[in-house]
Amino acid sequence: MQSLGVISINIWQALISLANLVILFFVMKKFLFKPVRKVLEQRQAHVDGVYAQADEARAKAEADRDAWNARMQGAREEADRILSAAAENARLTGDAMIGEAKNRAQGILQEAEDEAEQTRRVAAQDIRREMAGLSAELAEKLLGREINEADHRQLIDSFLNELEEQHDTNQ
Amino acid sequence: MTEKKRPSRAVDVLLILMMVLPLITAVVLNVLTAPAKEGIVIEGARVYYSANPDADLSQVFSTDFILTDAQINSWLVMISITGLCLFLTHGLQEHAVTVRQHIAEWIVEKVEGLVRANMGDFHVQSFSAFVCAVLGLSVFSSLMSLLGVFAPTSDLSVVGGWALLVFLVITGYKACCGPRIYVRTFTSDGAVVAALNVIGEVATPISMAFRHYGNVMSGAVIAVLVSAFLQWLSSVLLGWLPGVLGEIPFLQVGLPAILSVYFDLFSGALQAYIFSMLTMLYVSGGFPLEEYIKRHSHAEKSSVLAA
Repeated sequence: MQSLGVISINIWQALISLANLVILFFVMKKFLFKPVRKVLEQRQAHVDGVYAQADEARAKAEADRDAWNARMQGAREEADRILSAAAENARLTGDAMIGEAKNRAQGILQEAEDEAEQTRRVAAQDIRREMAGLSAELAEKLLGREINEADHRQLIDSFLNELEEQHDTNQ
Repeated sequence: MTEKKRPSRAVDVLLILMMVLPLITAVVLNVLTAPAKEGIVIEGARVYYSANPDADLSQVFSTDFILTDAQINSWLVMISITGLCLFLTHGLQEHAVTVRQHIAEWIVEKVEGLVRANMGDFHVQSFSAFVCAVLGLSVFSSLMSLLGVFAPTSDLSVVGGWALLVFLVITGYKACCGPRIYVRTFTSDGAVVAALNVIGEVATPISMAFRHYGNVMSGAVIAVLVSAFLQWLSSVLLGWLPGVLGEIPFLQVGLPAILSVYFDLFSGALQAYIFSMLTMLYVSGGFPLEEYIKRHSHAEKSSVLAA
Protein backbone atom coordinates (compact mmCIF):
# COMPACT_ATOMS: atom_id res chain seq x y z
CA MET A 1 0.00 0.00 0.00
CA GLN A 2 1.30 3.39 -1.02
CA SER A 3 1.76 6.39 1.17
CA LEU A 4 1.69 10.06 0.38
CA GLY A 5 4.70 12.22 0.93
CA VAL A 6 4.97 13.86 4.34
CA ILE A 7 4.49 17.28 2.85
CA SER A 8 1.90 16.83 0.17
CA ILE A 9 -1.38 18.38 -0.66
CA ASN A 10 -4.17 16.86 -2.64
CA ILE A 11 -6.90 19.11 -3.87
CA TRP A 12 -9.65 16.53 -3.43
CA GLN A 13 -8.57 15.74 0.08
CA ALA A 14 -8.60 19.44 0.92
CA LEU A 15 -12.06 19.95 -0.55
CA ILE A 16 -13.46 16.93 1.25
CA SER A 17 -11.91 18.17 4.46
CA LEU A 18 -13.48 21.59 3.90
CA ALA A 19 -16.84 19.94 3.39
CA ASN A 20 -16.27 17.89 6.53
CA LEU A 21 -15.84 21.01 8.60
CA VAL A 22 -18.96 22.57 7.11
CA ILE A 23 -20.93 19.40 7.86
CA LEU A 24 -19.64 19.30 11.41
CA PHE A 25 -20.58 22.98 11.80
CA PHE A 26 -24.18 22.12 10.93
CA VAL A 27 -24.06 19.07 13.19
CA MET A 28 -22.86 21.19 16.10
CA LYS A 29 -25.41 23.84 15.37
CA LYS A 30 -28.33 21.46 15.13
CA PHE A 31 -27.45 18.81 17.66
CA LEU A 32 -25.56 20.72 20.33
CA PHE A 33 -26.15 24.46 20.25
CA LYS A 34 -29.79 24.57 19.22
CA PRO A 35 -31.14 22.19 21.91
CA VAL A 36 -28.89 23.55 24.64
CA ARG A 37 -29.75 27.15 23.84
CA LYS A 38 -33.42 26.24 23.80
CA VAL A 39 -33.18 24.68 27.23
CA LEU A 40 -31.20 27.62 28.56
CA GLU A 41 -33.79 30.04 27.21
CA GLN A 42 -36.60 28.02 28.75
CA ARG A 43 -34.81 28.05 32.07
CA GLN A 44 -34.18 31.77 31.81
CA ALA A 45 -37.83 32.38 31.03
CA HIS A 46 -38.86 30.19 33.95
CA VAL A 47 -36.48 31.96 36.32
CA ASP A 48 -37.72 35.35 35.12
CA GLY A 49 -41.27 34.18 35.71
CA VAL A 50 -40.46 33.01 39.22
CA TYR A 51 -38.76 36.28 40.01
CA ALA A 52 -41.70 38.25 38.68
CA GLN A 53 -44.08 36.15 40.79
CA ALA A 54 -41.92 36.66 43.86
CA ASP A 55 -41.83 40.42 43.31
CA GLU A 56 -45.56 40.47 42.85
CA ALA A 57 -46.14 38.43 45.98
CA ARG A 58 -43.84 40.65 47.99
CA ALA A 59 -45.55 43.80 46.74
CA LYS A 60 -48.91 42.32 47.65
CA ALA A 61 -47.69 41.28 51.08
CA GLU A 62 -46.32 44.75 51.71
CA ALA A 63 -49.58 46.34 50.62
CA ASP A 64 -51.50 43.97 52.92
CA ARG A 65 -49.18 44.78 55.78
CA ASP A 66 -49.64 48.53 55.26
CA ALA A 67 -53.38 48.12 55.08
CA TRP A 68 -53.43 46.07 58.26
CA ASN A 69 -51.21 48.58 60.01
CA ALA A 70 -53.56 51.37 59.01
CA ARG A 71 -56.56 49.40 60.23
CA MET A 72 -54.82 48.54 63.48
CA GLN A 73 -54.00 52.19 63.99
CA GLY A 74 -57.64 53.13 63.35
CA ALA A 75 -58.87 50.47 65.73
CA ARG A 76 -56.52 51.66 68.43
CA GLU A 77 -57.73 55.24 68.07
CA GLU A 78 -61.33 54.06 68.11
CA ALA A 79 -60.69 52.10 71.31
CA ASP A 80 -59.05 55.11 72.93
CA ARG A 81 -61.97 57.29 71.96
CA ILE A 82 -64.50 54.81 73.34
CA LEU A 83 -62.58 54.47 76.57
CA SER A 84 -62.29 58.19 77.13
CA ALA A 85 -65.99 58.69 76.29
CA ALA A 86 -66.93 56.00 78.77
CA ALA A 87 -64.76 57.60 81.44
CA GLU A 88 -66.36 60.97 80.81
CA ASN A 89 -69.80 59.44 80.92
CA ALA A 90 -69.05 57.72 84.20
CA ARG A 91 -67.72 60.92 85.67
CA LEU A 92 -70.85 62.85 84.66
CA THR A 93 -73.14 60.14 86.03
CA GLY A 94 -71.23 60.03 89.29
CA ASP A 95 -71.37 63.82 89.65
CA ALA A 96 -75.06 63.78 89.00
CA MET A 97 -75.63 61.06 91.55
CA ILE A 98 -73.53 62.82 94.12
CA GLY A 99 -75.39 66.11 93.51
CA GLU A 100 -78.75 64.43 93.90
CA ALA A 101 -77.64 62.72 97.08
CA LYS A 102 -76.42 66.04 98.45
CA ASN A 103 -79.75 67.69 97.64
CA ARG A 104 -81.69 64.95 99.28
CA ALA A 105 -79.52 65.11 102.35
CA GLN A 106 -80.02 68.86 102.44
CA GLY A 107 -83.77 68.40 102.20
CA ILE A 108 -83.79 65.84 104.99
CA LEU A 109 -81.72 68.13 107.18
CA GLN A 110 -84.04 71.06 106.44
CA GLU A 111 -87.06 69.01 107.31
CA ALA A 112 -85.46 67.87 110.52
CA GLU A 113 -84.57 71.43 111.46
CA ASP A 114 -88.07 72.67 110.64
CA GLU A 115 -89.61 69.94 112.71
CA ALA A 116 -87.29 70.72 115.58
CA GLU A 117 -88.23 74.39 115.35
CA GLN A 118 -91.89 73.56 115.30
CA THR A 119 -91.53 71.34 118.31
CA ARG A 120 -89.56 73.99 120.11
CA ARG A 121 -92.21 76.59 119.39
CA VAL A 122 -95.02 74.35 120.57
CA ALA A 123 -93.05 73.54 123.66
CA ALA A 124 -92.40 77.26 124.28
CA GLN A 125 -96.10 78.07 123.98
CA ASP A 126 -96.99 75.27 126.37
CA ILE A 127 -94.43 76.47 128.79
CA ARG A 128 -95.68 80.04 128.47
CA ARG A 129 -99.27 78.96 129.07
CA GLU A 130 -98.20 76.84 131.97
CA MET A 131 -96.21 79.66 133.50
CA ALA A 132 -99.10 82.12 133.12
CA GLY A 133 -101.44 79.78 134.90
CA LEU A 134 -98.89 79.09 137.59
CA SER A 135 -98.04 82.69 138.16
CA ALA A 136 -101.73 83.68 138.33
CA GLU A 137 -102.37 81.01 140.82
CA LEU A 138 -99.30 82.05 142.72
CA ALA A 139 -100.28 85.71 142.76
CA GLU A 140 -103.84 84.86 143.81
CA LYS A 141 -102.53 82.94 146.70
CA LEU A 142 -100.10 85.68 147.57
CA LEU A 143 -102.55 88.52 147.30
CA GLY A 144 -105.45 86.55 148.55
CA ARG A 145 -107.73 88.04 146.21
CA GLU A 146 -109.17 87.30 142.91
CA ILE A 147 -107.59 89.20 140.23
CA ASN A 148 -108.89 89.64 136.89
CA GLU A 149 -107.57 86.80 134.96
CA ALA A 150 -107.57 88.62 131.71
CA ASP A 151 -105.61 91.52 133.04
CA HIS A 152 -103.26 89.22 134.70
CA ARG A 153 -102.57 87.26 131.52
CA GLN A 154 -101.85 90.48 129.72
CA LEU A 155 -99.44 91.53 132.40
CA ILE A 156 -97.59 88.25 132.32
CA ASP A 157 -97.45 88.21 128.56
CA SER A 158 -95.88 91.61 128.54
CA PHE A 159 -93.44 90.52 131.17
CA LEU A 160 -92.52 87.38 129.25
CA ASN A 161 -92.14 89.30 126.05
CA GLU A 162 -89.82 91.62 127.86
CA LEU A 163 -87.90 88.62 129.11
CA GLU A 164 -87.70 87.15 125.65
CA GLU A 165 -86.53 90.43 124.19
CA GLN A 166 -83.95 90.65 126.90
CA HIS A 167 -82.93 87.12 126.17
CA ASP A 168 -82.74 87.78 122.40
CA THR A 169 -80.64 90.87 122.84
CA ASN A 170 -78.36 89.00 125.20
CA GLN A 171 -77.85 86.36 122.66
CA MET B 1 -41.44 19.97 37.25
CA THR B 2 -41.07 17.45 40.00
CA GLU B 3 -41.06 14.72 37.40
CA LYS B 4 -37.47 13.90 36.66
CA LYS B 5 -37.30 11.87 33.51
CA ARG B 6 -34.18 9.93 32.82
CA PRO B 7 -33.06 9.57 29.21
CA SER B 8 -33.83 6.12 27.89
CA ARG B 9 -31.09 3.55 28.26
CA ALA B 10 -31.46 1.92 24.85
CA VAL B 11 -30.86 5.19 22.99
CA ASP B 12 -27.93 5.89 25.29
CA VAL B 13 -26.32 2.59 24.43
CA LEU B 14 -26.77 3.24 20.72
CA LEU B 15 -25.24 6.69 21.03
CA ILE B 16 -22.30 5.40 23.04
CA LEU B 17 -21.76 2.78 20.37
CA MET B 18 -21.88 5.58 17.82
CA MET B 19 -19.07 7.28 19.74
CA VAL B 20 -16.91 4.24 20.38
CA LEU B 21 -17.35 2.08 17.28
CA PRO B 22 -15.74 4.56 14.85
CA LEU B 23 -12.66 4.74 17.05
CA ILE B 24 -12.41 0.94 17.24
CA THR B 25 -12.91 0.81 13.48
CA ALA B 26 -10.04 3.23 12.99
CA VAL B 27 -7.73 1.10 15.13
CA VAL B 28 -8.75 -2.13 13.41
CA LEU B 29 -8.37 -0.59 9.98
CA ASN B 30 -4.93 0.68 10.91
CA VAL B 31 -3.81 -2.69 12.23
CA LEU B 32 -5.10 -4.50 9.15
CA THR B 33 -3.48 -2.22 6.62
CA ALA B 34 -0.32 -1.10 8.37
CA PRO B 35 2.80 -2.41 6.67
CA ALA B 36 5.62 -3.67 8.84
CA LYS B 37 7.96 -0.79 9.49
CA GLU B 38 11.70 -1.20 9.51
CA GLY B 39 13.91 1.50 10.93
CA ILE B 40 12.97 5.13 10.74
CA VAL B 41 9.98 5.53 8.46
CA ILE B 42 8.25 8.87 8.34
CA GLU B 43 5.54 9.01 5.77
CA GLY B 44 2.24 10.70 5.09
CA ALA B 45 -1.24 9.32 4.91
CA ARG B 46 -1.72 5.88 3.44
CA VAL B 47 -3.71 5.79 0.24
CA TYR B 48 -6.61 3.36 0.34
CA TYR B 49 -8.00 4.20 -3.03
CA SER B 50 -6.71 6.16 -5.95
CA ALA B 51 -8.65 7.03 -9.09
CA ASN B 52 -5.40 6.97 -11.02
CA PRO B 53 -3.29 4.04 -9.73
CA ASP B 54 -0.35 4.91 -11.97
CA ALA B 55 0.09 8.39 -10.52
CA ASP B 56 3.24 9.21 -8.60
CA LEU B 57 1.96 9.79 -5.09
CA SER B 58 5.18 11.17 -3.70
CA GLN B 59 4.77 14.52 -5.43
CA VAL B 60 3.91 17.54 -3.34
CA PHE B 61 0.79 18.66 -5.19
CA SER B 62 -1.67 16.24 -6.76
CA THR B 63 -5.09 16.60 -8.27
CA ASP B 64 -6.08 12.95 -8.62
CA PHE B 65 -8.97 11.78 -6.50
CA ILE B 66 -7.59 9.72 -3.65
CA LEU B 67 -8.90 8.39 -0.40
CA THR B 68 -6.40 8.19 2.45
CA ASP B 69 -6.56 7.00 6.01
CA ALA B 70 -6.41 10.64 7.09
CA GLN B 71 -9.71 11.16 5.35
CA ILE B 72 -11.25 7.97 6.66
CA ASN B 73 -10.13 8.76 10.20
CA SER B 74 -11.52 12.25 9.81
CA TRP B 75 -14.93 10.87 8.93
CA LEU B 76 -14.78 8.40 11.81
CA VAL B 77 -13.97 11.26 14.17
CA MET B 78 -16.90 13.22 12.82
CA ILE B 79 -19.26 10.32 13.41
CA SER B 80 -17.87 10.00 16.91
CA ILE B 81 -18.32 13.71 17.61
CA THR B 82 -21.87 13.61 16.27
CA GLY B 83 -22.56 10.69 18.60
CA LEU B 84 -21.09 12.66 21.47
CA CYS B 85 -23.27 15.68 20.70
CA LEU B 86 -26.38 13.53 20.49
CA PHE B 87 -25.46 11.75 23.69
CA LEU B 88 -24.84 14.97 25.59
CA THR B 89 -28.06 16.59 24.42
CA HIS B 90 -30.16 13.45 24.81
CA GLY B 91 -32.87 14.02 27.36
CA LEU B 92 -32.21 17.70 27.96
CA GLN B 93 -34.70 19.30 30.28
CA GLU B 94 -35.21 22.62 31.90
CA HIS B 95 -34.41 21.29 35.34
CA ALA B 96 -30.98 19.77 34.72
CA VAL B 97 -30.46 16.48 36.52
CA THR B 98 -27.89 14.67 34.43
CA VAL B 99 -24.14 15.16 34.37
CA ARG B 100 -24.16 15.10 30.60
CA GLN B 101 -26.54 18.03 30.44
CA HIS B 102 -24.21 20.01 32.66
CA ILE B 103 -21.34 19.09 30.37
CA ALA B 104 -23.34 20.10 27.27
CA GLU B 105 -24.29 23.41 28.85
CA TRP B 106 -20.73 23.94 30.01
CA ILE B 107 -19.40 23.40 26.48
CA VAL B 108 -21.94 25.76 24.94
CA GLU B 109 -21.41 28.46 27.52
CA LYS B 110 -17.62 28.20 27.38
CA VAL B 111 -17.52 28.41 23.59
CA GLU B 112 -19.96 31.30 23.62
CA GLY B 113 -17.83 33.01 26.24
CA LEU B 114 -14.73 32.48 24.10
CA VAL B 115 -16.47 33.92 21.05
CA ARG B 116 -17.82 36.82 23.06
CA ALA B 117 -14.40 37.62 24.48
CA ASN B 118 -12.66 37.50 21.11
CA MET B 119 -15.29 38.72 18.67
CA GLY B 120 -17.85 40.66 20.66
CA ASP B 121 -21.52 40.04 21.31
CA PHE B 122 -22.52 40.52 17.70
CA HIS B 123 -21.04 37.20 16.52
CA VAL B 124 -21.98 34.96 19.45
CA GLN B 125 -25.22 33.70 18.00
CA SER B 126 -23.92 32.97 14.52
CA PHE B 127 -20.31 31.99 15.11
CA SER B 128 -20.22 29.86 18.26
CA ALA B 129 -21.20 26.63 16.53
CA PHE B 130 -18.48 27.10 13.91
CA VAL B 131 -15.81 27.72 16.53
CA CYS B 132 -17.02 24.69 18.44
CA ALA B 133 -16.84 22.60 15.26
CA VAL B 134 -13.28 23.75 14.55
CA LEU B 135 -12.22 23.09 18.13
CA GLY B 136 -13.89 19.71 18.34
CA LEU B 137 -12.74 18.39 15.00
CA SER B 138 -9.19 19.61 15.52
CA VAL B 139 -8.83 18.32 19.08
CA PHE B 140 -10.33 14.91 18.43
CA SER B 141 -8.42 14.51 15.16
CA SER B 142 -5.15 15.22 16.94
CA LEU B 143 -6.10 12.88 19.77
CA MET B 144 -6.52 10.05 17.26
CA SER B 145 -2.77 9.61 17.48
CA LEU B 146 -3.31 8.37 21.05
CA LEU B 147 -4.99 5.33 19.52
CA GLY B 148 -1.91 4.71 17.41
CA VAL B 149 -3.62 5.61 14.16
CA PHE B 150 -2.75 8.34 11.71
CA ALA B 151 -4.02 11.65 13.05
CA PRO B 152 -5.92 13.55 10.34
CA THR B 153 -4.38 16.81 11.52
CA SER B 154 -0.90 15.60 10.57
CA ASP B 155 -2.00 15.59 6.95
CA LEU B 156 -1.53 18.91 5.24
CA SER B 157 -4.51 18.47 2.93
CA VAL B 158 -6.95 18.05 5.79
CA VAL B 159 -5.79 21.09 7.71
CA GLY B 160 -5.41 22.95 4.41
CA GLY B 161 -9.07 22.34 3.68
CA TRP B 162 -10.04 23.82 7.04
CA ALA B 163 -7.81 26.81 6.48
CA LEU B 164 -9.36 27.30 3.06
CA LEU B 165 -12.80 27.31 4.62
CA VAL B 166 -11.66 29.81 7.25
CA PHE B 167 -10.25 31.95 4.44
CA LEU B 168 -13.60 31.83 2.65
CA VAL B 169 -15.40 32.77 5.85
CA ILE B 170 -13.02 35.66 6.50
CA THR B 171 -13.46 36.91 2.95
CA GLY B 172 -17.20 36.45 3.17
CA TYR B 173 -17.41 38.54 6.31
CA LYS B 174 -15.05 41.15 4.90
CA ALA B 175 -17.09 41.46 1.73
CA CYS B 176 -20.50 41.43 3.37
CA CYS B 177 -20.92 45.18 2.86
CA GLY B 178 -20.29 45.00 -0.86
CA PRO B 179 -17.15 44.75 -3.02
CA ARG B 180 -16.39 48.48 -2.72
CA ILE B 181 -15.80 48.29 1.02
CA TYR B 182 -13.92 45.03 0.58
CA VAL B 183 -11.49 46.50 -1.93
CA ARG B 184 -11.03 49.57 0.23
CA THR B 185 -9.67 47.43 3.08
CA PHE B 186 -6.67 46.67 0.84
CA THR B 187 -6.15 49.92 -1.00
CA SER B 188 -6.72 52.45 1.75
CA ASP B 189 -2.98 52.86 2.41
CA GLY B 190 -1.58 53.17 -1.09
CA ALA B 191 -0.46 50.80 -3.83
CA VAL B 192 2.61 49.29 -2.17
CA VAL B 193 0.75 48.51 1.01
CA ALA B 194 -2.10 47.14 -1.08
CA ALA B 195 0.22 44.55 -2.60
CA LEU B 196 1.46 43.60 0.84
CA ASN B 197 -2.10 43.40 2.06
CA VAL B 198 -3.04 41.00 -0.72
CA ILE B 199 0.00 38.83 0.04
CA GLY B 200 -0.89 38.91 3.72
CA GLU B 201 -4.45 37.94 2.95
CA VAL B 202 -3.33 34.92 0.94
CA ALA B 203 -0.72 34.01 3.52
CA THR B 204 -3.30 33.79 6.27
CA PRO B 205 -4.76 30.36 5.39
CA ILE B 206 -1.37 28.99 4.36
CA SER B 207 0.24 29.99 7.63
CA MET B 208 -2.71 28.62 9.61
CA ALA B 209 -2.60 25.30 7.77
CA PHE B 210 1.16 24.89 8.10
CA ARG B 211 1.16 25.91 11.74
CA HIS B 212 -1.38 23.33 12.71
CA TYR B 213 -0.09 20.58 10.45
CA GLY B 214 3.54 21.25 11.34
CA ASN B 215 3.00 21.09 15.06
CA VAL B 216 1.09 17.84 15.00
CA MET B 217 3.36 16.28 12.37
CA SER B 218 6.50 17.28 14.24
CA GLY B 219 5.13 15.52 17.28
CA ALA B 220 4.69 12.36 15.25
CA VAL B 221 8.19 12.71 13.79
CA ILE B 222 9.76 13.18 17.18
CA ALA B 223 7.82 10.19 18.49
CA VAL B 224 9.21 8.04 15.68
CA LEU B 225 12.73 9.33 16.17
CA VAL B 226 12.68 8.83 19.94
CA SER B 227 11.20 5.40 19.51
CA ALA B 228 13.89 4.40 17.01
CA PHE B 229 16.62 5.84 19.20
CA LEU B 230 15.38 3.93 22.22
CA GLN B 231 15.23 0.76 20.20
CA TRP B 232 18.81 1.26 19.14
CA LEU B 233 19.85 2.12 22.70
CA SER B 234 18.28 -0.95 24.18
CA SER B 235 19.84 -3.20 21.56
CA VAL B 236 23.23 -1.70 22.41
CA LEU B 237 22.85 -1.77 26.18
CA LEU B 238 20.75 -4.89 26.63
CA GLY B 239 21.69 -6.87 23.53
CA TRP B 240 23.89 -9.20 25.58
CA LEU B 241 20.86 -10.71 27.29
CA PRO B 242 20.33 -14.28 26.13
CA GLY B 243 17.79 -15.31 23.55
CA VAL B 244 14.56 -13.40 23.04
CA LEU B 245 15.22 -11.08 25.99
CA GLY B 246 17.93 -9.31 24.04
CA GLU B 247 15.52 -8.44 21.26
CA ILE B 248 12.88 -6.79 23.44
CA PRO B 249 13.37 -2.99 23.42
CA PHE B 250 12.84 -2.47 27.17
CA LEU B 251 13.82 1.18 27.03
CA GLN B 252 10.88 1.92 24.77
CA VAL B 253 8.62 1.41 27.78
CA GLY B 254 7.76 4.66 29.53
CA LEU B 255 9.47 7.57 27.85
CA PRO B 256 7.39 7.58 24.64
CA ALA B 257 4.25 7.66 26.76
CA ILE B 258 5.48 10.73 28.62
CA LEU B 259 6.38 12.44 25.36
CA SER B 260 2.98 11.49 24.03
CA VAL B 261 1.32 13.43 26.84
CA TYR B 262 2.96 16.56 25.50
CA PHE B 263 2.88 15.96 21.76
CA ASP B 264 -0.50 14.30 21.49
CA LEU B 265 -2.56 15.74 24.33
CA PHE B 266 -1.10 19.15 25.05
CA SER B 267 0.11 20.10 21.61
CA GLY B 268 -3.03 18.79 19.94
CA ALA B 269 -5.31 20.80 22.23
CA LEU B 270 -3.08 23.85 22.00
CA GLN B 271 -3.04 23.83 18.19
CA ALA B 272 -6.80 23.42 18.06
CA TYR B 273 -7.13 26.39 20.41
CA ILE B 274 -4.71 28.48 18.36
CA PHE B 275 -6.45 27.58 15.11
CA SER B 276 -9.89 28.54 16.38
CA MET B 277 -8.49 31.64 18.09
CA LEU B 278 -6.91 32.83 14.84
CA THR B 279 -10.15 32.10 13.01
CA MET B 280 -12.07 34.30 15.42
CA LEU B 281 -9.52 37.08 15.39
CA TYR B 282 -9.21 37.18 11.59
CA VAL B 283 -12.96 37.16 11.09
CA SER B 284 -13.74 39.79 13.70
CA GLY B 285 -10.72 41.83 12.58
CA GLY B 286 -11.80 41.80 8.96
CA PHE B 287 -15.49 42.35 9.60
CA PRO B 288 -16.53 46.01 9.18
CA LEU B 289 -18.95 45.98 12.08
CA GLU B 290 -19.75 49.69 12.15
CA GLU B 291 -20.40 49.83 8.42
CA TYR B 292 -22.57 46.73 8.72
CA ILE B 293 -24.59 48.11 11.59
CA LYS B 294 -24.97 51.41 9.78
CA ARG B 295 -26.31 49.70 6.69
CA HIS B 296 -28.38 47.29 8.69
CA SER B 297 -30.05 49.98 10.76
CA HIS B 298 -30.49 52.03 7.58
CA ALA B 299 -32.21 49.09 5.93
CA GLU B 300 -34.40 48.65 8.98
CA LYS B 301 -35.26 52.33 8.93
CA SER B 302 -36.19 52.27 5.26
CA SER B 303 -38.30 49.14 5.74
CA VAL B 304 -40.08 50.88 8.60
CA LEU B 305 -40.68 53.92 6.38
CA ALA B 306 -41.92 51.71 3.59
CA ALA B 307 -44.29 49.98 5.96
